[in-house]
Amino acid sequence: MPAPTERDVDLKRTYDAVVVGSGAAGGMAAHVLTSHGMKVLLLEAGKKLDIEKELKSMEWPYEHPRRGGLPPDSHALSRNEYTFRKPPYAKGLPNKHVYSYVEGWSGADYSKNIVVDEKDNPYTGTNYAWVRARCLGGKTNIWGRLALRLSDYDFKAASRDGYGEDWPISYTDIAPYYDKVDLYLGIAGHPENLPYLPDSLFQRSTRLNTAEVKLRESLAGMGRVLTPYRAGVTTDGLKHNKYRSRCFGRGACDRHTGGCDIHAAFDSPTGLIYPAMDTGNLTLRTNSTVYEVLVDKNTGKARGVAFVDSQTGKNYEAKAKVVVLGASTLESARLMLLSKSRFHPNGIGNSSGHVGHNFCEHIMGPSVTGLVKELVGKPRTLDDGRPAGFYVPRFRNLADRQSNFIRGYGFEGDSGTHMFPGHASSTPGFGAAYKKKVRDYAGAFISMGAFGEVLPRYENYVDIDANVKDRWGIPVLRFHYHFGDNEKKMAADMADTAREMFVAAGIEIIGVDRDTLPEGWSIHELGTSRMGNDSKTSVLNQFQQSHDVPNLLVVDGSSHVNASCQNPTWTIMALCWRSCDHLADQVQKGEV
Amino acid sequence: MSSDIERRELFKIAAATAYAAKFGVAQEQQRFFTPQEFVVVDELAEIIIPADDHSPGARAAGAAAYIDARLAESREADKKALWRKGVQLVNQVSLQMHGKTFLETAPAQRAAVVERMAQNEEEPKSPEEMFFKELKRATVNAYYTSKIGIHQEMEYKGNVMLNQFVGTELP
Ligand SMILES: Cc1cc2nc3c(=O)[nH]c(=O)nc-3n(C[C@H](O)[C@H](O)[C@H](O)COP(=O)(O)OP(=O)(O)OC[C@H]3O[C@@H](n4cnc5c(N)ncnc54)[C@H](O)[C@@H]3O)c2cc1C
Ligand code: SF4
Repeated sequence: MPAPTERDVDLKRTYDAVVVGSGAAGGMAAHVLTSHGMKVLLLEAGKKLDIEKELKSMEWPYEHPRRGGLPPDSHALSRNEYTFRKPPYAKGLPNKHVYSYVEGWSGADYSKNIVVDEKDNPYTGTNYAWVRARCLGGKTNIWGRLALRLSDYDFKAASRDGYGEDWPISYTDIAPYYDKVDLYLGIAGHPENLPYLPDSLFQRSTRLNTAEVKLRESLAGMGRVLTPYRAGVTTDGLKHNKYRSRCFGRGACDRHTGGCDIHAAFDSPTGLIYPAMDTGNLTLRTNSTVYEVLVDKNTGKARGVAFVDSQTGKNYEAKAKVVVLGASTLESARLMLLSKSRFHPNGIGNSSGHVGHNFCEHIMGPSVTGLVKELVGKPRTLDDGRPAGFYVPRFRNLADRQSNFIRGYGFEGDSGTHMFPGHASSTPGFGAAYKKKVRDYAGAFISMGAFGEVLPRYENYVDIDANVKDRWGIPVLRFHYHFGDNEKKMAADMADTAREMFVAAGIEIIGVDRDTLPEGWSIHELGTSRMGNDSKTSVLNQFQQSHDVPNLLVVDGSSHVNASCQNPTWTIMALCWRSCDHLADQVQKGEV
Repeated sequence: MSSDIERRELFKIAAATAYAAKFGVAQEQQRFFTPQEFVVVDELAEIIIPADDHSPGARAAGAAAYIDARLAESREADKKALWRKGVQLVNQVSLQMHGKTFLETAPAQRAAVVERMAQNEEEPKSPEEMFFKELKRATVNAYYTSKIGIHQEMEYKGNVMLNQFVGTELP
């Protein structure tokens, strides 16, 4: 189904709302506000891509001149560069284009127009692997689709262990909105009835293979769970959405950076924005990079935004009754800090001084790979014909505190055959025996890696580096961010328990990786404008509205009070839906 | 003297060309490797992943040509140097072991040369060991992303439209 035709942008008129950014957050805001009849202008910094032409989800590697790889004038930053060099990482590199590490994955040539060129988009400060996508839909075009709910173990974590702040909401506040997101966008999964990882309203689940069933059964004996990957993918189809097909398990899905060209996997353009355009209430302008939230000089309230056309370099203003930021956690913080005025000398919405602070995410790295011996030499099976493998939810610090750190972590894992035998390079030797070994062992490996909660800390923050500007002359972000002691202890425990679980299941250990990946690797940046009831220690209220400026909302991961250890996107969208419902209600009552 | 070198060079090129003809190596595609180097790399790749009862090997899959094309357009000077030097090292090791250059030796002797280079695969130390690691990485990458590697050797079953997922349905 082709994209709907766009309405003309009218910068003379005052829109009911201007939404900044078109990823999970901005797309959801556009959907909810237009569904309430509000006239919305959506501004997106990146291009609108012809995504079906771009992605080629089913192209065979050998059909591509570089087997899916980037052209030689391009460079993807490596783990080493993020570790040993300092940002801006692209500075001084001879390559024409420099991308973040995700473009080092196979299939990166398909997503090179989705992610940003680090040369145009520098940042400074401490080491941080910041992955950004600038195009209609943002990172949702290439996200990994693990779609999880949070629970009161997360929202009320501070009450449980005494660290940090509780969220100003509890699970019952957000549960109906998780339901709405499930039904509107589709999610595949298997119900497990876990209080710490609530079930969604699932469509048809993906299935586990032999190795995964074996591990699942063994974990059950330890009181732990292995569940099929909960995927933000519609497996049964969505009658209300003509732009998205159901999933056909086509098997190249683990090539994340290749995306899903039939849009069974959720992406913001087909899932949210095109349907919103069909209401007639949405006006879209791409290539529009917002650099300031404008305020009324008498009231200090938001009156619109200033933006630069990223193609022509021309500056414009857009007027709106409400400004909704969904530029992604760090970009929204940057925008607020840049929006200084007489009323808001430290940046808009920043009377608390907390904008940019309490920045948190997930820590990754520790992982295990094992061999299921009885699968060696078995006939070939199809194991990657599904969005992804499995998830092992958190088991630490649930019933009572049993470890030398607080909070927890979960594992994402996978097993069986893939299009490319990843073990071929690490299988020693050469010749006929080597070749046969690679063939025989192809379906017999299983591996999983952890994602753990990084505690929010005031000292972990971003601010503006006025001395460095991006390609459009906008001052960039500077990082002041490090993992702490809790994360390091947690990482050691991740490696230990990963091994323990495989050993208990009778899986032969091939390797355990104990090292953590650089800061930022999880691509789950959160915090920076946290919600709370106290305007001195938080930036937003429970409806993601600025305490200082009631007609300014920040609907992306900025508002999260802690990172939990579950992937954030489904929560970003549920919270955004709740806030936009509330906003529409207030607008109707004339309260904003 | 100089004509002597020329003659030797000519001989090597002739040998390489004859060899290439015998194994059906496409000569015109090479852009980074010299004809002699190309034949060495092609032979090394086939030694690493040979044809067997199950499927054709790296030669039939065109691994050397793929590696050549990537190196030809590469902007990584270090990597290019590693390959140039690497092929020389192969001949040096061969001369040391057998008193002949790599292509002049018998198949078993060639395998012995590769064996020597591969001896510290986990933690390569000498330049020839480092080269083997890169050679194997590149060969594996070229072979298992090729038509032969994916379909004939690995019998990959995916990248098709499935109506139902494969695997166990949980109760
Ligand atoms: C490879 C990968 C795998 C991932 N896997 C998962 C997963 O399995 N599960 C999960 O939950 N999450 C995952 N994520 C994270 C997920 O993509 C993000 O959580 C989600 O996209 C966040 O939505 P957002 O709207 O806040 O930001 P984005 O999706 O980044 O969208 C922000 C948009 O705002 C635009 N923008 C930025 N600045 C401006 C400006 N100044 N003016 C105008 N527009 C602007 C950007 O161009 C972009 O389009 C993954 C991400 C990646 C890259
Ligand atoms: S397996 Fe499903 S979600 Fe993944 S690319 Fe294929 S159709 Fe899309």
